[in-house]
Amino acid sequence: MRGGSIYIERTSGLHRLHPLTKVALTALCFASAAALPSLAWLLALFVGLLLPLAIWGRLTAAFLKSCLLVVGPFVISLTIIQGFFSGGETVLFRLGRFAFTQEGLLAGLTFAARLLVALGGTLLLMQSTPQAQLMQALTERGFPPRLAYVVLTAIQIFPSFQDRAQVIIDAQQARGLELQSGLLSRVRLLLPMVGPLILGSVMDVSERAMALEARAFSSPAPKTSLHSLADSPSQRILRWLLVLAAAALLAWRLWSALQ
Amino acid sequence: MIELKKFSYWYPGTEEPALQRISLDISEGEFVGIVGANGAGKSTLCYALSGFVPHFYNGESEGQLTFNGQDMAALDLGQLAGQVGLVFQNPFNQISGARFTVREEIAFGLENLGLPRSEMHARIDEALDLVNIQDLADRSPFSVSGGQQQRIAIASILAMQPRVLVLDEPTSQLDPDGTRDVFTALSKLVSTRKITVILAEHKLEWLATFCDRVIALGGGKLRAEGTPQEVLSSEQMLRLGIGRTQYSEAAARLLRTKKLPVTLEQAKKALK
Amino acid sequence: MNLRAEGVSFRYPSGVLALDGVSLDIPSGQLLAILGENGAGKTTLVKLFNGLLRPAQGSVHIGDWDTAQHSPAALASRVGFLFQNPDDQLFERTLAREVAYGPRNLGASEAEVAHRVSRALKLVGLQDMADAHPYDLPAPQRKLLALAATIAMDTPILVLDEPTIGQDELGCRAISRILTDLHAMGRTLMMISHDMDFCAEHAERLVVMLNGKIHLDGSPAEVLSQTKKLDEAEVAPPQLVRLAQALKMRATPLTVDEFVDEYKQWRKKKNK
Repeated sequence: MRGGSIYIERTSGLHRLHPLTKVALTALCFASAAALPSLAWLLALFVGLLLPLAIWGRLTAAFLKSCLLVVGPFVISLTIIQGFFSGGETVLFRLGRFAFTQEGLLAGLTFAARLLVALGGTLLLMQSTPQAQLMQALTERGFPPRLAYVVLTAIQIFPSFQDRAQVIIDAQQARGLELQSGLLSRVRLLLPMVGPLILGSVMDVSERAMALEARAFSSPAPKTSLHSLADSPSQRILRWLLVLAAAALLAWRLWSALQ
Repeated sequence: MIELKKFSYWYPGTEEPALQRISLDISEGEFVGIVGANGAGKSTLCYALSGFVPHFYNGESEGQLTFNGQDMAALDLGQLAGQVGLVFQNPFNQISGARFTVREEIAFGLENLGLPRSEMHARIDEALDLVNIQDLADRSPFSVSGGQQQRIAIASILAMQPRVLVLDEPTSQLDPDGTRDVFTALSKLVSTRKITVILAEHKLEWLATFCDRVIALGGGKLRAEGTPQEVLSSEQMLRLGIGRTQYSEAAARLLRTKKLPVTLEQAKKALK
Repeated sequence: MNLRAEGVSFRYPSGVLALDGVSLDIPSGQLLAILGENGAGKTTLVKLFNGLLRPAQGSVHIGDWDTAQHSPAALASRVGFLFQNPDDQLFERTLAREVAYGPRNLGASEAEVAHRVSRALKLVGLQDMADAHPYDLPAPQRKLLALAATIAMDTPILVLDEPTIGQDELGCRAISRILTDLHAMGRTLMMISHDMDFCAEHAERLVVMLNGKIHLDGSPAEVLSQTKKLDEAEVAPPQLVRLAQALKMRATPLTVDEFVDEYKQWRKKKNK
């Protein structure tokens, strides 16, 4: 699916895990990204845990591709900035009066690795969990269903918004609107483009609201779900362990910073 | 089943009533067509018959509107949702957007009603079957044609097992294929399920072929009521801006009868 | 201004071959309808005429212009385009400003713009609403507004995508009158439509598409008499043609008048 959803359908153990277990794993990744002290540790976590999980989830190619697409540009920009400007003794080379240092390079790479670990955890969760399941897991733990509905529709409706935007651009071009780069023509494009998009959506809102009512959206009955989310005692224990590990990492980091 | 007695209705902040002193009695298992020019009150009547007037739109009303003898205003929308279903013109706006497959989309209303899982699956299978979209069950509801989307919308409502299905111009955005699919599904419902179907529609030839009874509206008033042939062949249809099928138009020039044909079959018989 | 497509093919990025070697010559002033089921290539074809799409093979000429050498905005001075859904283009505060948008983009002087706006609004019958907000109009009338906005661009060629969809009888009659007026002014008119009764009555030429190719092309009487080929393209003939066929009249009447004449002759022959 284009646009909003990055879920990739596969049959795998990772996909079958309860969404909250994967949320706990993501939390651990974020804690690690913030707390682990060195590049080696971060890369070890990525290669030793995240990559095997991606392989287990049969997502290897998509996972690595997304990591590269998002983190790649950061690796370049961060190493350039840090390499030239964060100082250090070991000069690798010079450009004019700017020195590129080994310490700077390492700092840049470490920062990029932190991003990589945080992103990797998020990708594992999102690529292996349909958003509907994630929302269901959250609403079963007390997340408001109306808010869950808004989040889900936002993800789903986004691609159709893109389609409509294209039709609107076509329609206005057919009325002689010149599409050119340049700030002035971008501004000229804004109203004819955004106007129909918003007006049309506003017109649809009342019909959408009625259609939701016709589906008993405001029924007072407690809601049920078509799919059951498989859970197990071992997963519950695993979740607690993951959360504890995340908390311990952060606490250790805080403590060592205070020392 | 649904009864209106001198029912009038004003949308909030309007002087002119959208419906004026309408009296109407719809019985169980009937297939009723509603015709009228744009602005004649078709949509408002659909909303009234499904309880959205007065529940969703406020506004003023006069006269009586009852469902199975109970005042519609006294029933709440949550209660009504399982009894009366409403299908709209634009298929896209009826897809909840919160579910990712057609099966889950149909489940959305059932989840809201709080049904147990096993019953949901049974009802979804049945609804898919009724409108003949079993093969779409695992597709995304956004990846199918308009006609298929409209059938998903109908199935989503049918799964809630309403006794009355009200449709407000469900085929107006559809091509001939989509229109045929929707009408075929509806006629199957009436004949096999004894569900009451009330359908507002401009496509006269289709209405004439399938409906038991046709109601013509003009300026918010009930102008004619009877069998499709009685209502749709009359000259009044021209004055009301509803028009007639070309079968009626041709036969009006050739035959001296009050009972003009409105369908191909009738025209063939009359002109043979 | 002539329009000429020569050996045009087009493939979407998804890999679908939407047009496959289409050649079409449309002389100045012709009123033509393009028919065919969804996905047959109708919309793709007309989008090549105003440069929204570019042919992968072959060429499209509008008068002496090769569309490959002009931007859609430039081609907009020669080919006007009415999209199916008016809400995809309306954004101004008043009807008059909305209609003025196109001519202004094309560089018309303010005096000229004002003149064209009042003329176009008058032609579609909305002259009394010039200062209203477009969304004060009901949806079917917004379509007429979008049509006025297209007409005001004074293009020699006009493409109309499903002009009658969502219109009631009165709306169809209004559009029929507008097309007749535009035709009398010598504009080239091309409509894509599923409304067979409307096309048969108004078009001078019918082009039926199937799988990205031109399947049938000729006068309405020629095209509509080819029952088998129409069937292949999933295009149902209009009501009067179906009636004539059901009666085995061996005629292809396009209007009620024609049907009445043909029927009387057929009756006479039959009685002999």
